[in-house]
Amino acid sequence: MLLMLALTGCAVQVPRLLGHPPPDLPRQVELVRTPFFPQLELQCGPAALATALSANGRAIQPQALVDKVFLPGREGSLQLEMLAGARRHGMVATLLPGSLEAVMRETAAGHPVIVLQNLGLSWAPTWHYAVVIGYDLDAATFVLRSGTTERLELAFRTFEHTWDRSQRWAFVALPPGRLPVTATEDEATRALVAFERNAPPEAAARAYAAALARWPDSLVLAMGLGNARHAAGDKAGAEQAFRDAAARHESSAAWNNHASVLLELGRRDEARRAAQHAVELGGPLRETALATLRAIDR
Amino acid sequence: MKQLQRLFAMLLVICFANATMIQAAQAALVTTEQVAGMAAASPQDSPHARLGALMTRADVQAQLERFGLSPDVAKERIAALTDDEASRLAQQIENAPAGASDVLGVLLFVFIVLLVTDILGFTKIFPFTRSIR
Repeated sequence: MLLMLALTGCAVQVPRLLGHPPPDLPRQVELVRTPFFPQLELQCGPAALATALSANGRAIQPQALVDKVFLPGREGSLQLEMLAGARRHGMVATLLPGSLEAVMRETAAGHPVIVLQNLGLSWAPTWHYAVVIGYDLDAATFVLRSGTTERLELAFRTFEHTWDRSQRWAFVALPPGRLPVTATEDEATRALVAFERNAPPEAAARAYAAALARWPDSLVLAMGLGNARHAAGDKAGAEQAFRDAAARHESSAAWNNHASVLLELGRRDEARRAAQHAVELGGPLRETALATLRAIDR
Repeated sequence: MKQLQRLFAMLLVICFANATMIQAAQAALVTTEQVAGMAAASPQDSPHARLGALMTRADVQAQLERFGLSPDVAKERIAALTDDEASRLAQQIENAPAGASDVLGVLLFVFIVLLVTDILGFTKIFPFTRSIR
């Protein structure tokens, strides 16, 4: 009895959500076309990831992901590697806010959501990755592709309890250029910076452009757009991105990169002025800006 | 022969000196990771470099093998992480939750507790239980 008291402490969203569902939230969603890969042995991570990637047009078998996200010695997949595994297959993996409503809104937008659940107890954990593909407000259930079950209906409460014990960890994997509807600016940015690291630069540029359209005030996204375009060989596009970033933000990084690209374009005078401004702004990047200035005057 | 060696050494010195000078005066782009504050302060500090160095050690390789990973695959997987993620991974690899841990080893006591909590809707271990709420 004591145990159950301890367990009931967490879930508070369900009654509120059922009592006053947001009016624009559909009553019922099920992404029936989401493929299903029954998990082999204990490999729910690769199966869940293959489900989400294939649903968004990146057809892949779980077996091909085992090498990338599965740790045989731990008989499971680490959360970080689930995100990295999605990225290695050309998808942007973005963490979602830990609310039931966010999970619902993503599925309503057509995005299957990978969730980490602790199906057991906090002191006897049974970690499990599954994919939420819909919900039914009237029946108060989520619909998941889970383990070896193609269509698992899980009561809101049960889902919330099992999800709560993973600190409500959930993400969507989308092709570059598409954004999760509920992601915060911070998480979307983090996802894109990580994506840029290994992605083809054209794909990274497309992803940054879409995110910058939603969050035009972000310096990181603006810099990412410039850097990705530059890496893709689009110097004119990079120049424009850095010019916009420098005009919007008094950032030595933006001015330095603008100067550097102007130099590559042979516009030495403009480059010098931009680099001088970057040096004036100073900060931890002063040395970099000075090096750029020296390169211009060489 | 000795003179030839000396000449060769001189040439090398000049090449290297040149290379470092060019390096110092080159206009460099600031990376997005740097702007986002997600990059390590210097390349030597980079968790990638630290993890890379760790992976050459025999005891670490043995540990990786116990996790069922070949060093090459592990290196590829680490390369897919940001600096920020790599440093968290280095801290967490022992403790982070991995999906699908084994319940079979857990005691009968736990089985009964779970059966009850399954029925109450707090957990979802057994496919045959139905939550009462």
